[in-house]
Amino acid sequence: MTVSTIQDVEFGEELPAFKPDTSLENVRIFVAAAGWGAARFTDHEAARKEGLPGALVPGIMSQGFLAAMIHQWASDARIVKIDTVFRAPVMVDQPHYITGIVTDINAEDSYVEIDLTVSNEAGETRVFGTATVNLA
Amino acid sequence: MAACVHETIAEKTVVILDLHTHSIKSDDGRAKVENYCKWIRSREIPIDGFVLTEHRQFDVESDYSTLVKSSGLCILKGSEVETEYGHVLVFGVTEALMLAYHFSSIGLPLASVLESWEQHNAIAVPCHPGRKRVGMQANIEKLGVPAGVRIVETLNGGSRRGEDEITQQMAAELGYLGIGGSDSHIVSHIGRCATRFPGDISNEHELVEALRAEEFAAISMRQ
Repeated sequence: MTVSTIQDVEFGEELPAFKPDTSLENVRIFVAAAGWGAARFTDHEAARKEGLPGALVPGIMSQGFLAAMIHQWASDARIVKIDTVFRAPVMVDQPHYITGIVTDINAEDSYVEIDLTVSNEAGETRVFGTATVNLA
Repeated sequence: MAACVHETIAEKTVVILDLHTHSIKSDDGRAKVENYCKWIRSREIPIDGFVLTEHRQFDVESDYSTLVKSSGLCILKGSEVETEYGHVLVFGVTEALMLAYHFSSIGLPLASVLESWEQHNAIAVPCHPGRKRVGMQANIEKLGVPAGVRIVETLNGGSRRGEDEITQQMAAELGYLGIGGSDSHIVSHIGRCATRFPGDISNEHELVEALRAEEFAAISMRQ
């Protein structure tokens, strides 16, 4: 279900599941657009040489996925804040899943707070945080 | 502190508490305590309350008595401090204990914490011991087995694959008892793991007594 107004939102509502495209190809496109050149994001071998388990999805790209999920749920929403805590790296070319759950509704001011989690296939939380969203 | 809501099973009162939670008082906590309560009640999460174990501090100023009353949940306070063996939950924090230790230190000596905090009628419990760097098992390999540990957190809601198993193996080998806590930092993660106690727990002192009685069990409600 997509929402348009604050009246459409229910406490505890789960946003539609979102599977981000963490492929190396997509990350390379993002990094180029962002003007970044670090090989740790675009080359598994180079990342391993830096002691990492493989290429990483940039943090701002993960935040972009979170924003995309919110707009998939509420296309007219204004995202006021996305506040993330990066617990573990989001790895390129590995499946991840993003969940969002409404945990606070301020109907008076039309604000919604959403719990956000990026998990890997093992169900391990890699990134968590909250978003504050303004709906008409 | 209002009394907890209790469940009676076969004429035996049982209380289930999530012993490891963080609110916005912690630097990486994003959950408001009132939203925890709302979430627990709306989702009918089978816990009777929770302990706020804020990182490197004891939150003296927050008063949750109104929330306790309105939600019927037991809300207690503890702390999560940092030692050379990793992170440690502390239950039964007193003013004297706060004067004796700098909770904000990231290198408290575990042996001293365990010994002297016992004298202050508090209990220290190493948490997520199977976690790399900040868990006790990783540091046992460098520092040896610490004396005085009786209880560890064997179920942690934030554990990655294999971490709880490492802890449970360590606990079995060293004869430790286990508690459970969600280690929640956002609202929807509360209650993933908890600890079941026989009898009533309505305040921090009773929690310490219940832990000393050693009749608790760690439980997981992860899906």
